[in-house]
Amino acid sequence: MNITDIQAAFTADTRNRTAIIAGLAVLTLGGNLLAMAVGAPEGLLPLPALPLTIPIILAGYWYPRRGLLFAACFAAIYAVTTTLLSPPDSYLIYTTLLRAILLVLIGGVVAFLATKLRESEQQMNQIIEFLPDATFAIDRGGRVIAWNRAIEKMTGVKKEAILGRGEYEYAIPFYGEPRPLLANRVLQGELETGHPPITKNGDALVAEIYTPHLRSGRGAHIRFTATALLDRSERVSGAIESIRDVSDEVMTEVALQNASRQLNILTGILRTDLANHLAVLYGHLSLGVMKFDDPEILSFINELNDAANGIRRRIEISREFRDIGTSPPAWIPVQQTIRKVAATLSFGGVTLDAWTERLEIFADPHLATVFTHLFENSLAPETKAERIIVTYQLRPEGCAIIVEDDGIGIPDAEKKSLFAQKTESYGHGLLLTHEILAITGIAIRETGAFGAGARFEILVPSEGYRIV
Amino acid sequence: MTPGVLSRGGTGPEGGRLEVRELRSAEFPRADEVWRDYRGMTGDPARDRIFATLLAGQIVSLARCRRHSGGLEVDGIFTPDNFRKRGYAHRTLAALITACHNDDLYMYAVESLTGFYAGFGFMSIPERNLPSGIRERYTWAAGNMEGAEVRPMFRRAGL
Repeated sequence: MNITDIQAAFTADTRNRTAIIAGLAVLTLGGNLLAMAVGAPEGLLPLPALPLTIPIILAGYWYPRRGLLFAACFAAIYAVTTTLLSPPDSYLIYTTLLRAILLVLIGGVVAFLATKLRESEQQMNQIIEFLPDATFAIDRGGRVIAWNRAIEKMTGVKKEAILGRGEYEYAIPFYGEPRPLLANRVLQGELETGHPPITKNGDALVAEIYTPHLRSGRGAHIRFTATALLDRSERVSGAIESIRDVSDEVMTEVALQNASRQLNILTGILRTDLANHLAVLYGHLSLGVMKFDDPEILSFINELNDAANGIRRRIEISREFRDIGTSPPAWIPVQQTIRKVAATLSFGGVTLDAWTERLEIFADPHLATVFTHLFENSLAPETKAERIIVTYQLRPEGCAIIVEDDGIGIPDAEKKSLFAQKTESYGHGLLLTHEILAITGIAIRETGAFGAGARFEILVPSEGYRIV
Repeated sequence: MTPGVLSRGGTGPEGGRLEVRELRSAEFPRADEVWRDYRGMTGDPARDRIFATLLAGQIVSLARCRRHSGGLEVDGIFTPDNFRKRGYAHRTLAALITACHNDDLYMYAVESLTGFYAGFGFMSIPERNLPSGIRERYTWAAGNMEGAEVRPMFRRAGL
């Protein structure tokens, strides 16, 4: 179907409607007049105006802007002809006039309601039309009833060319052949089956494919999302589907994975090289200790040994960092994570109380490492803690997960550098903790009082937590 | 679960496994069932945290912490008759207070139990000091708390 075909169909449709209204008007008015002309019983005059409402209702519904005018003209003709042809009777004239007014009112109400309906439809069409995502809708029979500007731009197929088309023709721009899309699966109730893999997100079905047919044949990764259109009885009357080009996201993700892999390889090589050189250095330092007796030189060697230890610890830290951010963040149940961490640590006489049963946060999958480091610091003998408590507090800006112990706490002077690279004393691994949390915008700070215990607040933004 | 870690229970007087924990949303109907004998109270997962002591999996004591616009209210502290005098309510309330200790807590305490709550750090306050969202519950008493046999109480945030 091309534009000319559609215009021709529209013109034919308009003609048919006009003919139907005119035919019904002539039929009902004519019948009324004929009945009066052949002498219908007086009690029936004028004939009930009910049949006359049919052309008025149709005119008001199909042509709301002219509905009232049509009703007024029609009622006027009815009133004049009936008055002229009826026996002179003031009661009859009065009832005829009332019926004429009723006809005008019916025409007016229908035209008003039809106008509101058209406006509502128009608004809905405008909403679909200007959606930023490519969107189309099909009716129960699988024919296209909406095709917005974004999808015109994505596929190059104009609305005029696709509206009213069925037989899966709307799939051709994406697959190169007619075949069911997600919207058809919604209509047929075939959920979460078939290829490509389909996932359910609320009431919507979601699938991603790569198609070589878009972007002028350069190909694109696209994400389909479809959901049912329901009528007043909650029955499926059609389906709407949006298509988003996610090529940039996919390419960025792949590029990041590649870059991360390359960096991991590079740092792995550097780590190995450094470890080898360090082994040589330790060897020389050991020889030096054996070879020299001079306390000054031994002190010097000892300092060199400390520096070598520092390098070794940094190598260990870089090994811990290598996997951070390589897997996508996810919703993670906090209590479950704490349970897993607790099972891997030795608590001795220290008790752990975690009250985060229904809390989930959107975090890097290495969240467990965060709790591991926080607990390890509390469990260190020098901390002198007997109890660790994990709770959470909902705040206007989000959710704070609070990990606190009853140990000696952290001196104020140390707090500033708490999340800096550090390997000894309190604070081991806190840099890593900070970095893992920062991936999803989670902050961490220490708010305890020295002498009363350490208290870490993990500050999760509003969109990053949920109580399930 | 590692022994000694996260375990808040032990063995009950009858020998069954005793557990004190927060209920998950899917378990709220179980709490509603127990509360049926206690003023028909129910839990709302959107604004409530419910803590329970369970004996061999059966709820033997409950306490609720409800979030109002102005603060947190503790209520619904209830132990069915056949499980009383065994310290279950004490365990449950202690759990609630630990879990919610970061916020100030308010309650309307039954007069005869104010001593019990005082043991957890609650102190009596004038009704006007309650957040309005909590105060609305007892609007019908028109300020006559003694007549209603309840007393407004408050516990400052902290362990």
